[in-house]
Amino acid sequence: MKPFKYLSPTTVEKAISYYGEHSETAKFIAGGTDVIVKVKEGWMEPDYLISLKKIEEMGELHKNEATGELSIGALVTHATLEKSLMIQNEYPIIYDAVSNIGSLQVRNVGTIGGNLINAVPSADGAIPLIALDGVALLHGPSGERSAQVKDLFIAPYKTILKSGEILKKITIPTQAPNTGSAYIKFGRRAAMELPLIGIGVLLTLEDDMETCSKARICLGVAAPTPMRAFDAEKLLIGKKINKEILIEAGNIAADESKVRNSIRGKAWHRKEMIRVHVKRMGLKCLEIIKNNS
Amino acid sequence: MSNLNPDTNREFDVIGKRIPKLDAAQKAMGRAEYIQDIKLPGMLFGKILYCKYAHASIVKIDTSKARALAGVHAVLTGQDVPKKMKMGFYKDNPPIKKGKVCSFRDEVAAVAAISPEIAKKALDLIEIEYEELPGIFDPEKAMEKDSPLVHEYHKSNVLKLPWKLHYGDVEKAEKESDFVVEEKFTTQWVTHCCLGTSGAIALFDSNDNLTIHTNTQIPSLAQKDFLESLKAMGLENKRVRVIKPIIGGGFGSKLDTYAYEHIAILLAYACRKPVKIMFDRVEEFKATSTRQPTVIYIKQGCDKNGKLTFRDMRMILDNGAYTSWGATTPSVMMMPITSLYRVDNVKYNAKCVYTNNTYSQAMRGYGNPQATFAIESTLDMLAQKAGIDRVEIRRLNRNQPGDVTPQGFKISSCGLSECIDEVEKELTIDGPKEKGIGTGIASLIHVGGGARIYKSDGCGAILKMDDYGKVDIFTGGTDMGQGLDNITAQIVAEELGLFVEDINVVHSDTDVCPWDVGAHASRSTFVAGNAALGAAKKVKETILEYGSKLLDADPKNLVLKDRTIFVLDDPEKSMPIDKLLRKAHFSPQGKMLMADFFYDPDNENMGKEFKGNMSVTYAFGAHGVKVKVDEETGKVKVLDYVAAHDVGRAINPLLLEGQVYGGVVMGLGYALTEEVVTKDGQNMNANFRDYKLFTAKDAIRIKAPVVETYDEYGPFGAKGIGEPGCVPTAPAIANAIYDAVGVRIFDLPITPEKVLAALKEKKSATTKI
Repeated sequence: MKPFKYLSPTTVEKAISYYGEHSETAKFIAGGTDVIVKVKEGWMEPDYLISLKKIEEMGELHKNEATGELSIGALVTHATLEKSLMIQNEYPIIYDAVSNIGSLQVRNVGTIGGNLINAVPSADGAIPLIALDGVALLHGPSGERSAQVKDLFIAPYKTILKSGEILKKITIPTQAPNTGSAYIKFGRRAAMELPLIGIGVLLTLEDDMETCSKARICLGVAAPTPMRAFDAEKLLIGKKINKEILIEAGNIAADESKVRNSIRGKAWHRKEMIRVHVKRMGLKCLEIIKNNS
Repeated sequence: MSNLNPDTNREFDVIGKRIPKLDAAQKAMGRAEYIQDIKLPGMLFGKILYCKYAHASIVKIDTSKARALAGVHAVLTGQDVPKKMKMGFYKDNPPIKKGKVCSFRDEVAAVAAISPEIAKKALDLIEIEYEELPGIFDPEKAMEKDSPLVHEYHKSNVLKLPWKLHYGDVEKAEKESDFVVEEKFTTQWVTHCCLGTSGAIALFDSNDNLTIHTNTQIPSLAQKDFLESLKAMGLENKRVRVIKPIIGGGFGSKLDTYAYEHIAILLAYACRKPVKIMFDRVEEFKATSTRQPTVIYIKQGCDKNGKLTFRDMRMILDNGAYTSWGATTPSVMMMPITSLYRVDNVKYNAKCVYTNNTYSQAMRGYGNPQATFAIESTLDMLAQKAGIDRVEIRRLNRNQPGDVTPQGFKISSCGLSECIDEVEKELTIDGPKEKGIGTGIASLIHVGGGARIYKSDGCGAILKMDDYGKVDIFTGGTDMGQGLDNITAQIVAEELGLFVEDINVVHSDTDVCPWDVGAHASRSTFVAGNAALGAAKKVKETILEYGSKLLDADPKNLVLKDRTIFVLDDPEKSMPIDKLLRKAHFSPQGKMLMADFFYDPDNENMGKEFKGNMSVTYAFGAHGVKVKVDEETGKVKVLDYVAAHDVGRAINPLLLEGQVYGGVVMGLGYALTEEVVTKDGQNMNANFRDYKLFTAKDAIRIKAPVVETYDEYGPFGAKGIGEPGCVPTAPAIANAIYDAVGVRIFDLPITPEKVLAALKEKKSATTKI
């Protein structure tokens, strides 16, 4: 492992200015569950690691009760989200995703922002935030800008973040009434597992409690970046949601996916798992909506 | 052979007690000293360069840049390895390869430097030109005539090994059978996953005697291997001291010596300094050996009542590019093949075939899990064909005390029947069966009283007592985490009327400890236990002699208990044992108490026909499992597990349960998730992310009923139980899956993909009809 200097700024501005001084020889680090592994293995050899951990505002998890908007600081750990009753009750899809990342030890230090910025196709954290229409707030040398979480990813390990730019927080717009959401990581074991496929579904029903007004079907490991199955979503809009139509949506989502064979799993099985779990997560959404009404 | 323990029914103070592992606190607090922690003055760091091809000629090696790097003390290539320095019983594996490489794990150069970083840098500076050769990765293809040869000098890819037996008349028995099942099974590479990675430190003294600290399960046989290496290096009549630090897991992985140990010796000799080689996790996955993969063809038959008539098995073993103990696993596979259940007519033939894959080693069960997977899976199929209940067919054919099996195994004690009862009791499902839920059962036989594979199956023990009533016992046996220290201390404490904390167990230093063949074959409790017991009995005799004089009583009427010697029918007449020891020591012609004992069990080497009583006694068991199969995903969830074993006697039930739990979880990984994935000989999942070892969260609650049969030859009646936990797990699971959803998986591990594919195939077959 190449030695590095560790900087711990307390403001976003300071962090960005540190980066300005050292530019390409520096890397930002949050929880470190990805960066430290890369440094130790020699895949990344920075001279400076700029820790974002001391920047308080980036560690805040807050719901604006007046507007209904949820704000998740990029440094909020998986464990914080997992333990939050508000997340458990109101954003089950986030809970489903973060509570099965790595191990308890990993979740205690790993952050939601790091999970996004690492940009692996299997990032559990990305799927619920895409399904919830999350917006990422980025801060860089030339100021702030925002982007849809679904648009953050360009390729494996590649995001739209420019050199020196930091993901500050993710905001989730107000959820409509009669909304249910659920995620499943389909893997081989119960912990320390990457998903073979990750499936997140969000459904909003009209007042008749049957007709779908909004649908999100989001897939991890189904393509080089986290993806939405737009055709499958479209099918559901305006329709009465039942098992049969969810099966059809699952079939369309499977066709939309670009799953591949890898040492971890075969493409045909991944497709099957999309089929099965779009249906199952859809049914789970209906269950949640029913229970909340 | 005399029975060492006539008193199996007496009440015990220490035997049978749940005494936690003696080193548990030390390990939990991070104070145990592993090879990683050991640093010697002036120590250098060695690193090994592995090749980049599965099969290639080495055209040129240039080490000049590596040699020129500051801090580098030595750079070795195959040219620097003495011709006769070869590893493994087949002697086909030089520690650094020369001329050509035959697998991705082939060592092509090694470096010693003042830091691991410099050593690593030096490896990067070694320039090697290869010319790639066609590789062969399928053992059955490797047997074909025009297949490329892994070793040209060997003339064939098939090893010259004698794995063949035929007892009775299988052809005739097959003709006369009412029901026959014939199938093919395949098993994968899995690896031990010791949490402590491998490592060694070698150093020479000024007289060229070698001391090597190394992670080994076989201090005495490793010493022999290293002596041979020294001889090959021209160092004859030198001494070798093997010291084993605390190791983080063995499971058979440390039953042979590895290239890194011999390379550490070569580097230490070249540099005249201690040299340490430590594996990182990737190396641990890639450069240590796996469980032996197999292709199994099996035929079994029974008569109309379900009585087994014959068993005919044929196997192809992927030997990899070099030969270690994996190639001898057929000798243990023979045990379940000839002796699991009563079956008179048996045939077996195994071929080990060179390929350009990794080579295999010993691993918990030593071939037994592979053979038992095929036997117990087809037994269920046979029961179904014959219309007999799967538990009944097992009961009907079960082994019984007094049996002599076709291979000549003498079954002394046998609790298989009771084990089957335990499983049946736990797994009975009342009422209608829920969809996707099923149960499975599978049994096992394993050696439980040593295993005479080597010329000697012995173990020595030296015991001495001090003036304070404390004992030091120097055992040949190796504690590798299984708890032999506890077992030894408990046996000695019980025999001498002391407490466990009075016993200091010293092991794994060949300068100090007597010879032992190694911690393998579930033999340590039985063999090292009997050695310790033998030494304790000798010392006890002397204590009783002194006690008889000092207490004026018949030695037969004296009892040692709670650190005291007293007269049985007059307990007031007593003396603390430490006082007795001082009286013996500090008197004219004083005497300090010590004894040695070498225990070599009365078992037999198998001859050319593989007949002979390999073990003094055999362990039996039955496992039962309840699973739920998700028919849409193919995922199998284990709901309940019961593993009943005949252990003779549980010397320490806590440790015994630990062995069973650990074995079962290892077996579940073998059955469901674990696999070294390779692509043209290259390991594709050399990390714990992609090698699916069960995690704590995947582990399930296991019931481990103990059946005690009090074996007359075991120490206090005990048999070995180190390996059985992982032997019948895979077939129990496969049988349960069939029971649940009606599909049978013949290829391990049983992944969701395989189950779902089988379910789809079954469905389409039904629709066609």
